[in-house]
Amino acid sequence: MLGILKAAATTIRAAFRRPVTVQYPNEKKELPHRSRGFPVLLWDFEKDESFCTGCQVCARYCPVDCMTVTMKDNPKKAEGKSTRKKIVDKFYIDYARCMRCDICVEVCNFDAIVMNNTWEGVELSRYDRQDLVMDLPALQRQSQSGELKDPFREPMGVAHSGWTPKHEEEEEEAAKKEGGEK
Amino acid sequence: MILGLIVDNVVLDALIRLGVIMLLVPVYMVIITWAERKVIGRLHMRLGPMRVGPYGLLQGLADTIKLMTKEDLRPTTADRWVFELAPFAIVVPIIMALVALPFTADILIRNLTLGLFYIVALQGLSIVGFVMAGFGSDNKYALIGGVRAAAQLISYEVPFILSILAVAMVASTLDISAIVGLQGSTPLIAYLPLAFVIFVIAGLAELYRQPFDIPVAESEVVGGPFVEYSGIRWSMFQLGEFVSMVLISILGSLIFLGGWQWPLGGDVPVVGQMALMAVKTTGFILFFMLMRASLPRLRVDQLMAYCWQLLLPFAFLQIIINGLVLAYDWPNWTMTVMSLAALGALLYLTNRAARQSGVTYQPSTASAQRVGSVL
Repeated sequence: MLGILKAAATTIRAAFRRPVTVQYPNEKKELPHRSRGFPVLLWDFEKDESFCTGCQVCARYCPVDCMTVTMKDNPKKAEGKSTRKKIVDKFYIDYARCMRCDICVEVCNFDAIVMNNTWEGVELSRYDRQDLVMDLPALQRQSQSGELKDPFREPMGVAHSGWTPKHEEEEEEAAKKEGGEK
Repeated sequence: MILGLIVDNVVLDALIRLGVIMLLVPVYMVIITWAERKVIGRLHMRLGPMRVGPYGLLQGLADTIKLMTKEDLRPTTADRWVFELAPFAIVVPIIMALVALPFTADILIRNLTLGLFYIVALQGLSIVGFVMAGFGSDNKYALIGGVRAAAQLISYEVPFILSILAVAMVASTLDISAIVGLQGSTPLIAYLPLAFVIFVIAGLAELYRQPFDIPVAESEVVGGPFVEYSGIRWSMFQLGEFVSMVLISILGSLIFLGGWQWPLGGDVPVVGQMALMAVKTTGFILFFMLMRASLPRLRVDQLMAYCWQLLLPFAFLQIIINGLVLAYDWPNWTMTVMSLAALGALLYLTNRAARQSGVTYQPSTASAQRVGSVL
């Protein structure tokens, strides 16, 4: 009997709280930093080229064979603008096959590939399955245009192991500090 | 001139009034489905319909179009006529009951001297439709739902009618307008609180809404009698449900809460009367929605035991109290006091029954251990 009143009071109180609904296509929840969308390539703004050298490690480790990578000689190396001897020529990822296992991110030697942690990494409905095969410009677009503001660079498995990769910038800063103190 | 002719012709007049009601009922149904989804949504901390039109206002219209254009399916093994006529067996009596229901002092179709009796009689007919739907669908869930509906509606019909009978005893008339006329200064709920509570509980069960939605429970019998219905016939069941909800709400505000009379007295203009009725009826409907959002479903044996062991004896108790007060000409307040005391006893026993059916408490006596006993 009292329980009925309590239940009614609870629902009435709930009615005056702010609804939890998010009107999805119009407004979106903020995704977590480690949100694991489909893999995309990162852009090296300093050298104005891709981090990816086309070494094919990711393609060889991919358990579902969704990647195709080719390599070419880096023209910027000849011009002296870059230290990369080789650079990626063609890069295809079939998002329809990809199972978002994060292995490509873990094996990449150049930290060139990340899991997309924006909504664009999951909003991928297409009318044709063929449209889900992404080519190099499509894979680089988000990073190159700056839409991928804060990519989660560390490989997920490594992140959970407690190991943190060395960041050269931080080391430099630390070295500077030490130097300053001395 | 033409208006005068129409008013003079009794049949034509009644037909036009009925036509207006028949047009307004589906419109009202569209509005109230939207309102219910919205209110329940807010009670669940959701938004309710938001997509179709501003704040989802056109959701009801969109649903109507969808239901109208859907295919009208019928299982091959179903009993054709029983299956197809079942929605009509539910909707027609309820709409016929609206004939005798006054909305204000002047806005009504026909005021019958036996109006209360007529409405209760037609309201009880919906059981036939449920049994027809359950039997005709040739589906075990529909059959179980139909049988449950029959058991529940027949059981709760008795305390429901007895609580209305208590009102009729005090008013010594079955004419609803006359009953409302008596309540200019004091609504009848002041004299009959017990009858009012029984009316609301039994009315909730008559409407098979939560927590009494056993016949149509989705998680138990996947919609009960409606399981095989689609499109327009299914929406007729919904129409019947919502119209009978409005019917019981209006009836309750007329016979217990003083209708268009209390608290302003009888001399208010039509707009005031309508506003008064709207407030009271909306109160009932919001209460039904609140109960729907708050309470879990009862078990069948709990439902039956509650009706036969608690509601029915207390409904008779209210009749006996009325009889004593009226026969011996005791002052009016004695009726209020005795009714309130009986209401207290009813609530106490309900509370005890609810505690007994809990997990932690084990009833000690043999009589309390009988399956489904609430006493």
